Amino acid sequence: MQLPLLASTFLTVFVAELGDKTQLTIVTISGTSSNTLAVFLGSAGALVLASLLGALAGGSLSSLIPPDALQLAASLGFLVIGLRLILRSGTDAP
Amino acid sequence: MSDSVDPSASPEPVVPEPDSEPAGEASGFETDGEATVTTEPMDFMAVALTTFTTVFLAELGDKTQLAALLLSAESGRPGLVFAGAALALICSSLVGVLLGRWLAAVMPAQRLERISGVLMVSLGLWLGGQASLGLLQPVLTLPNP
Repeated sequence: MQLPLLASTFLTVFVAELGDKTQLTIVTISGTSSNTLAVFLGSAGALVLASLLGALAGGSLSSLIPPDALQLAASLGFLVIGLRLILRSGTDAP
Repeated sequence: MSDSVDPSASPEPVVPEPDSEPAGEASGFETDGEATVTTEPMDFMAVALTTFTTVFLAELGDKTQLAALLLSAESGRPGLVFAGAALALICSSLVGVLLGRWLAAVMPAQRLERISGVLMVSLGLWLGGQASLGLLQPVLTLPNP
């Protein structure tokens, strides 16, 4: 009786996550960095912690911190990483 | 070969990578010759922290959280829901990491960096635009049709 709930949660989250911007980010960081294990540990830890906050806090978190503010901060991080990658690809010796 | 000591070297042990690498790279730590992807050996903690911060910020308030919240509210068993979600997220990030390694293997580093950079910048612009619109919505008070 516990297994269906576990399986349905797993499938829902896994399918929702495929091709998401988070996974694109992980692909990007992993492809351009040599430290695979560090990328995996960092991303997996972040995802687990974020979902832990989601499961524990529920709706109270989004009333405390507006999700749009978090997304805005994340978009700044994307911009910084992307610009750094473009700059690095320009200065690399072919 | 250099004897320079990294001033920011931390005393914590470096976790060795699993055996996904070809055996040719096993000897040299930093004195690889030509075709290395790394311009500078990035610290393990730095890579992990950068990845953590970016992914955490991007994920918080996203639809995964929404799904976890909904399932949790329906079932009343948040522990089990969390276990399922955590497993799924770990698997999904493993898929992403492996995909990135594969891309790095089949594509020249410079082109991959450029494509990734453009992708990240456009993702940042799109996400930032969405978030700014959402934040400005109460201020603008668009008339509803």
